[in-house]
Amino acid sequence: MDALNRADADVRFVAPGLVEIDVQGKPVLIGGCCGGCGARSFPRALVCTECMSEDIEPVALGTEGTLYSYSVVHQAPKGWRVPYVVGYVDLPDNVRVFAHLDADPKTLAIDMPVTLATGVVADDASGAALSSYVFKPL
Amino acid sequence: MRDVCVIGTGMIPFGKYPEKTLADLGWPAVKEAIVESGVPPKKIDAVYCGSALGGMLSGQRVMKALGITGMSIINIENACSSSSSALAEAWTAVASGRHDIVVVIGVEKLTKFGGGTLPLEREDWEVNQGQVMPAVYAMRAKRYMHEYGLTDRQLAEVSVKAHDHGALNPNAQIRKRVTVEEVMAARPVAEPFTLWHCCPTGDGAAALVIAAADVARAYRTNAVRVVASEVTSGLYTNGHRDMTWAELSARGAHEAYEMAGVSADDIDVAEIHDAFTIAELMYYEAFGFCERGHGYELMNSGATSLGGRICVNPSGGLLSRGHPVGATGAAQAVEIVRQLEGRAGAHQVEGARVGLSHATGGGIAGLDHGACSIHIFAR
Repeated sequence: MDALNRADADVRFVAPGLVEIDVQGKPVLIGGCCGGCGARSFPRALVCTECMSEDIEPVALGTEGTLYSYSVVHQAPKGWRVPYVVGYVDLPDNVRVFAHLDADPKTLAIDMPVTLATGVVADDASGAALSSYVFKPL
Repeated sequence: MRDVCVIGTGMIPFGKYPEKTLADLGWPAVKEAIVESGVPPKKIDAVYCGSALGGMLSGQRVMKALGITGMSIINIENACSSSSSALAEAWTAVASGRHDIVVVIGVEKLTKFGGGTLPLEREDWEVNQGQVMPAVYAMRAKRYMHEYGLTDRQLAEVSVKAHDHGALNPNAQIRKRVTVEEVMAARPVAEPFTLWHCCPTGDGAAALVIAAADVARAYRTNAVRVVASEVTSGLYTNGHRDMTWAELSARGAHEAYEMAGVSADDIDVAEIHDAFTIAELMYYEAFGFCERGHGYELMNSGATSLGGRICVNPSGGLLSRGHPVGATGAAQAVEIVRQLEGRAGAHQVEGARVGLSHATGGGIAGLDHGACSIHIFAR
């Protein structure tokens, strides 16, 4: 977990704390693992919602999951690149992640396996591209 | 706890009033409710005002326009349940004996945001990743369609039903009927929803005067009683959740039925939170009007339309009457009271004696919804 954000300096993330790039250049979602009860959280919680422990270590979450549901968004606040595809991805250890999906919606199906990647999802106020973690069909 | 009655109702037609202030939206509804009640303004013990996005001191801004000030005025924000939560707090204040006569206000002006999806809190991590309210419901719809075989066309029929009712309601924001073909061909918002699957944004205000039953007798005979009043919040998890089941609303319904001593079979008319088409079908199931997965079947039977055994959203609901967020709960309560008093006009549910109102919402990561408030009324 120490070779963090070493990726291309010109990639800017919407929420830099949620995703890191490992030494192989692959994205990893950073969740939390409670030292008190082992519960997982994403984003990493400051206090555990199961046992109120504040001893929560960062943990790399699994990079593969299943697509619980999805939608194609056509109307969104300024900055988002509409239309865009979003979904809920169920990861192991009972974690559900809301994410952009990098896929032609016609190829998507509920419960299909998906894998983690990154991609451009928005533009900031100056028009510069913003990236985030995304999932795509495996 | 004392019995609580509704002795006055007021609302303005929901719509778009960009030139009006929040206070100018609100005072006509409050005045109508007070005049209808016959209560002298000096007898009003407290005001509870619900508004999600109205800003500070919404209640004071409305009440000072009428020159009725000095009493306790409490402002309540609870997203889409703001004014139903205000009603619940008002109910508690009267039932407990703290106050005798209380005014409830719901008021909201969404046109100040210039249209588009409801502004959500960017501190929420899902919102920060591009979550919007239509997508929350759209993902529920997709999963529900996957699990129960509901089709795009069947889902579109929910919108047709809502607008058939709203066309009869002079207070509805949208009084146009739509066909299944129009619904399906409209511009997409968040698939599977087109524009007609989504409640419109707009402005509105509604108000009620409630009173302890023994006090109410001085102003009104046979007043509608509030027999259940409750507010619940969503259960947090960042884990897997069944999005085809409205857990929060089902839990609230159970509590409300228990408090009122009634069951789903006793409900004649209901105003439920159909912010998007799928919500109406899921809430039929949450309220026990039908079994899980049978929402469309119930609607298709005609049971939930005017003339059916349990008319749902005779006002047109959020889809047609409109959904100025914080004003919705009070408007639903006004509608149910007028239905039970037999004065709803062209969209009257004949012989309605027991009705419920249900406002839930708030897009917040990890919760089904932020809040849910349910009231049951009886004649």
